[in-house]
Parts: sequence; structure tokens; C-alpha cells
Amino acid sequence: MSTLSPKEMRQLVASRKIERVVVLGANGTMGYGSAALFTQAVPEVTFLARTKEKAEDGLAAAIKQVRSPTVANRAKTGSYDDDLAAACAGADLIFEALTEDFDLKKDIFDKVEASRRDDSIVATVTSGLSINKLCEGRSDSFRKNFLGLHFFNPPNVIVGTELIAGDETDPELVDFIDAYSTVLLGREMVRTADTPAFAGNRVGFKVMNEVCQLAEEIGVALTDKLVGPYTGRAMTPLATVDLVGWDIHRAIVDNVYANTTEAHDEARETNKLPAYMATLMEKGVLGNKSGGGFFKKDGKTRLILDPASGDYTPADEIKLPELGYIDEVAALHRDGRYKEGMAVFASASGEHAKIARKVIAGYVAYAFQRVGEVTESIDGIDRIMGMGFNVAPPSVLVDALGAQATVDMIAEAGLEVPAALAEAAKTGEPKRFFNHTRINVGKFFVAE
Amino acid sequence: MAAGSEVYVLGGYQTDFARNWTKENKHFSALMRESVVGALEACEIAPEEVESAHVGNFAAELYCMQGHLGAFFTEVDPAFSGLPTGRHEAACASGSIALLAASAEIEAGRYDLQAVVGIEQMKTVDSGKGGTYLGTAAWFEEEAEGIDAPFPKLFGRLGDEYDKRYGLKDEHLAEISKINYANAKLNPNAQTRTWYMNKDHALVRTDDNAAIGGRIRISDCSQVTDGAVTLFLASREYAEKWAKGTGKKLSEIPRIKGWGHNTARLKFDDKVAESANDQYVLPHVRSTVTSAMKRAGIEGVDGVDGIETHDCFTTSEYMAIDHFGITAPGESWKAVEEGWLEIDGKHPINPSGGLIGAGHPVGATGCRQVLDSYLQVTGQAGAYQVEGAKNFQTLNIGGSGTTSVSFVVGVD
Repeated sequence: MSTLSPKEMRQLVASRKIERVVVLGANGTMGYGSAALFTQAVPEVTFLARTKEKAEDGLAAAIKQVRSPTVANRAKTGSYDDDLAAACAGADLIFEALTEDFDLKKDIFDKVEASRRDDSIVATVTSGLSINKLCEGRSDSFRKNFLGLHFFNPPNVIVGTELIAGDETDPELVDFIDAYSTVLLGREMVRTADTPAFAGNRVGFKVMNEVCQLAEEIGVALTDKLVGPYTGRAMTPLATVDLVGWDIHRAIVDNVYANTTEAHDEARETNKLPAYMATLMEKGVLGNKSGGGFFKKDGKTRLILDPASGDYTPADEIKLPELGYIDEVAALHRDGRYKEGMAVFASASGEHAKIARKVIAGYVAYAFQRVGEVTESIDGIDRIMGMGFNVAPPSVLVDALGAQATVDMIAEAGLEVPAALAEAAKTGEPKRFFNHTRINVGKFFVAE
Repeated sequence: MAAGSEVYVLGGYQTDFARNWTKENKHFSALMRESVVGALEACEIAPEEVESAHVGNFAAELYCMQGHLGAFFTEVDPAFSGLPTGRHEAACASGSIALLAASAEIEAGRYDLQAVVGIEQMKTVDSGKGGTYLGTAAWFEEEAEGIDAPFPKLFGRLGDEYDKRYGLKDEHLAEISKINYANAKLNPNAQTRTWYMNKDHALVRTDDNAAIGGRIRISDCSQVTDGAVTLFLASREYAEKWAKGTGKKLSEIPRIKGWGHNTARLKFDDKVAESANDQYVLPHVRSTVTSAMKRAGIEGVDGVDGIETHDCFTTSEYMAIDHFGITAPGESWKAVEEGWLEIDGKHPINPSGGLIGAGHPVGATGCRQVLDSYLQVTGQAGAYQVEGAKNFQTLNIGGSGTTSVSFVVGVD
């Protein structure tokens, strides 16, 4: 988030023209979604893919996604072989949105480097690969003008955006892209460090993968019920993994697991992909994109995965234990009594409530422990979780539960209590961690 | 007893107009609670201090099967038990009417601190049914019954009347839409902040931007919106005490410096017939605006730093431009072409995004406009801040230009 005043931001945006944008990988979900976003603000956006036909598919998908034929008025299409050199030579901003494969990205950057102007900006939408490594060995002008601009999917709907500078990125460029994205693209910008999976995916996928691990122990239906909307999320976590795609999920958690150590990531093991997921992926199970993952539909019947066997059972044949406390919390949320709802959650008895609290405690503790590593303060993690993941930011949960109850919950889960929370429980300060008075925290507590 | 007749605006809270409370499975009471509790926290006011409360709402009986809205205050906090409350209705001007009633009570010396809530939950029904419900803001039997989307058609006819008298180009309406959507992207509580829009799209003439009422297309319309806004109004005596307690200076606390309020004939044709020989298409609206300016001691539109106006459709904003005196009557297009309406322009209009961009929860709109004016003149409007704003004016319209209310909110 920029420290400039609104007027200064608008002046900064006006100081540099971005008139031609090239999107590489424009047939992928992030590619065409981002390209569509740019056409709102830029007179010419070139959709590039391996073939012109694929680029045209991307353009068609972009038009469909944002429901405006006018995307085409500002779009050109082409292939890497035939059109990349000329397009990059004329581009003010080159936006790379290839699949999350380091070598593929390096190869395309070779081509970009050979044709770009020295003053053009190169941005990558990578969801977690190292920005510094991606521009290693490049020219001075490339490294100076290279940064991570991580939109979330779908970019036209999710405004939370991470901005990641490399060690040699021009700080003035970072300020410009921050202002440009805020003012012209309507983004909620969060500056993060060049750490594995940055801030949002680091914290968000840790929770989702832990839930994937939990599903093997207690079943998919019960897991998703226990970590459901009442805990501060619009969509249940396993349904989210299906939406994201198991392959994307694996790419992110594998990246974090490979690039962290126990010494500096106390919850590293929660990023280990469960073996049953790897096995099922070999059989083509990738979530919604493959017709099903943890959940799938057979006509109107919702089927739920058995992680052990890989078989599916109709949802209504799965008996869940008595979870009356969840109904009680949801009823309080329905009336807007969020603090009372979370108090019921914090004090609910029984092993299942305890399991749910462990996941939420893990989320909050992990986020607070990442301060200073992935972002300067908890605020950046809060905003990307709220505006990127659409889940209750950790600080919102602390404020709803109260610092002492949060500390108790973390201790109950057997986790180390972050110093900031221990201090708040002891002194009562700060009274509130989430200080964005214009952001409704109630929207994170869905009633069902 | 109030020490004087000044009415101070201590601040307030807006719910995120992009939210769909039905999808969140939440009751009307949650919408009201979040708004009131949010305002209490934002203004550092204890519930026990509130002396009276007003609710502005258009049609909760239709949308939510719920009346007696003032009584919902007692559900927000136990301290509100016994609070004098009431509800006010004037179609899309309901929130402003609630504000007028509350400020009049302060001016009369009845109370020193009042809460005013503007509220509407509209996504409880489909768009067809919602359009019919909105038709009750017109003379239903004569102007809305059996008509799809009656209000877009009525405001389409406002554009037709401009076209007849002065000429009107679609591109000017499209530019108004573009500005409102662009401003909304800067507003964290705007309904359309993630919607795809630019001038090209506003000029699309296919099903992607279908005509729904004569010249009115989707991009010309305000939205179906759930939302609530709570404001606290106070007497000078309370404001002085509150300023000391919160470490502020009294001079920094905005006041309602002026107000205007008018009601014209209910049917659109009657209004147009009455104004046939007038240079303004809706003279009652013009009178409302100038009344507020006069009471505020402001000679004309140059005396305000920005405007939050009622752009239920692009035609209503087009009308507002000349009715505010930004241009001569019929020349609103000049302000559009000169870029005067943009945030850094000569006469910024709807930096929040207005009804088209920010959203239009009918009964809440008048309160939202005053809250945004408060944010502007206290320098708290964030990315859509008009630099150095001291005075902002609102215009809130119920029906087809029927009930009009305008406030000037400012600091010295």
C-alpha cells in the first residue's frame, strides 16, 4: 500500500504512459483474466500464446469473463513465434502469465529480453516463484524494471494484489505500479517480500493443505463442516481447493515445502501434500477442472470423496456427528452478532470443536509468526487474506475472539503463541488489531 | 437542551454496498446492527449517549416483509431499550428525510445526539419483482403497473425531454457512466468496484449493454443494492463535549450548513408540463439546490468543492449538472466535455462513484451522500479524496424528481 496521498498517486499515474500491454500466456485463466482487466485502462493489449488460435481462445474467454465485447476493440492476438518480438518491442508493459513452471518462464524471458525496450516494464503474475531467481542473469535494465504483480483468480473479481520487488527493482517503478494498479485497475495493493508463495498463498495454502491432511483423518464432509463459513470464510476450504485445482494447489505447497526449513517455518509439515492427493492426481483427479475432486456432481446428487479409496459417496448418505455449536454460531452470525458467535466457537466443548479451533489457531498463529518475513506488519497479511482470499483476516479473528481467547486457543492447539498476541493478552493493547474502519469485518462471517 | 441551532455531523459508518446479505444468509437486523455498531465504534460514542434515533427506509415491508424499523434499535444494544425511534419514507429520498427530521429535532432543542440510519435490503427478490416494488415510488397505477422497469423508462423520458429542449448525445451520458465507475474503483465500499466498465462499454449497443428503458441502458443505471449507513448528528453543546473527549477541535467537525427540501407533482408528465416555460426541466430540484446553498451562505456552485448527487440514471446526473448551476440550463454537456466532473476537475461530482458506481440501496442513499460529504470535508475519503475539500453538497431525489433534498456539509 502506497504512502502517497490520493492526489500524488493520481499525479504519479499521469506521469508515465502505459499504452501498450503484452500478455504472455493469454490463453490461461490468469492470462486472459488479467488481459481483460488491462483493457479497461489501456488502449492496446496484445494477447500472446503458443499459437494465434490459442491467443484468440484467450480473447474469447476474456470477453466472456467480463461480459463485454469491447475487450476486442483494444485487443490484438498473436503467437510467440510470429508476434512476440514485435509486440514486446512496442510494449510499455509486458505481463507474463505462463503456467507455474520456472524453466518455461525463463525461456519466455529469453525471448522478451531479446526484443523489449530498455524502459519497458516486465511483470510476472507468478503465485510464488522467486522474483529474484526469475530475473537472475538478465540485463541491468531487465532487473531494474522487473517485478511480481500477483493478481488472484479471477482478476476481474478479486481485487487483492501482491506487489513484489526484486532486490534490484527500481523503487520508483514499484511506487508507480502500486499507484497505477490502485487508481486505474481498482486493486488493493499489498507489498510483500520475495519469499516462497509470498504472503497470501503462504498463509492461505498452509491452511488449505492442513485441511486436506485433516480430511484423510476425519473425512471430507466433516472437515469441510468443521472449517466452514462460520469460521470466517465464504467458501469451505476443500471446495476452494477443488476450485483452485489440485495441480495448482500442489505447485504452491510443494514450492513452499521445498524452499523452507523447519528452522524458519514452524509449520512446514502442514505444507506437505497428502499422499492420497498425489495418488488421485495420477488418476486425473484435479478438482473442478477435471469434473471433480473432493466433491463432484452426479446430476443433482452431490458426491463426496473418500480419500482412502478414491470412491465417492452421495452427501446425504454421510452421517455427521452432532455439531450443535455450529448452528448456534451461525444463528448469531445471521443476526450480526459476530463476537458472540466467535465466543461460542471458542468455548464449545467436544473433540470436533477442538479440531476446528486447532485449524483456526494454526492460521492465526502462522500469520502472526510470518510478520517481518513476508510483510512488514500483520496489516499486509490481513489485507491479502481479506481481499485476495476472501477469508477473515487473522487480525479480524483476534478482534472478534479477543486477544486472551486467541492466546488460549493457540495454546490449546499446542502451538507457540506469537509475541504480539501474548503481549496484547497481557496488556490489553492494542485494543484492536484490524484498524481499517471502512472495511466491513462482518462480511467475513457468513451465517451458513 | 441544545445550545444553538447548529447541527454537527460527528461521523458514521457504511456497509459495503457490494455485499449480498441474502447470500450471506443474514437477516435485516444484521444489516442494521453492523451499521449502527460500526458508527458507534467509528465515532467513539457509547450507546447510552444516544437520545433519539431515526430510520430512513423505502420498502422493507415489500423486500423483507418487515415494518416497524425504528424498533430494531432495541435489538442492537440493550442500552437502546426505551430510545425514542421512528421511520421515515420518501422513496429514494428516505435517508435524507430521516436526516432532516433528526436535524430539525436538534435545531428545536429536543435532543443533543441522534442516530440516523438509512437502510435498504433489496436483493431478497429477483429483478422483475424488485422493479415492480420500485414502481411504488411513482404513481403506481398510472405510471408503473404492468410496466417492466418503470423507473428506467421514466428517467429515459427525462433524457428525451432534454433532447427535445436542448439536444442530448449518448456519448455524454456514457462519459458520466465511465467517470462514476472509475471513481467507484477507488471506493472500498462501492458495489461496482470490480465491474468491467469503460466508455467503450458504456456505448455498446448490443445485449451486453441492453436497453431497458428507452435511451437508458444497463450502463446508465444505478444498481440493486443492499446497504445501510448510520450517521450521528449532534447539537453544538454535545459536539463541544465530544470534541474534547476525542481530542478534536470543534472547528474541524463538519456541520450541516444548509438544506433544501421540495416536493413536485408525483407524475412525470405533470412535472414536465409545469416546467414547459421554465429554463430548468425540473425547477423544484433547482429550487432545492439553491435553497441549500442560500441557507449555507453560499452564492453558487463555486462555493462547494464537490457534489454527491443522485445519479439513479445518467440522465439524472446530466440534469443535476445544470440544476446545480455548473453550466447554463441545457449545457450540461460542456461540463462533461471539459472534464470538470472528475475528482481533480473544477466541479467534482460523485467522487464516491455515486449511485451508479457506489450503489443505490434506496433508503440509505441520502445518508450515504452525507457520510461521503463528511469524509471529504474531514479529509478521510481515501483514494477518492477531493484535495482540500471544505464544503460538499448533496442532492437526493425520490421518485421521478418528486421529493428532492439537498444538504451542504462543511467545515469552516
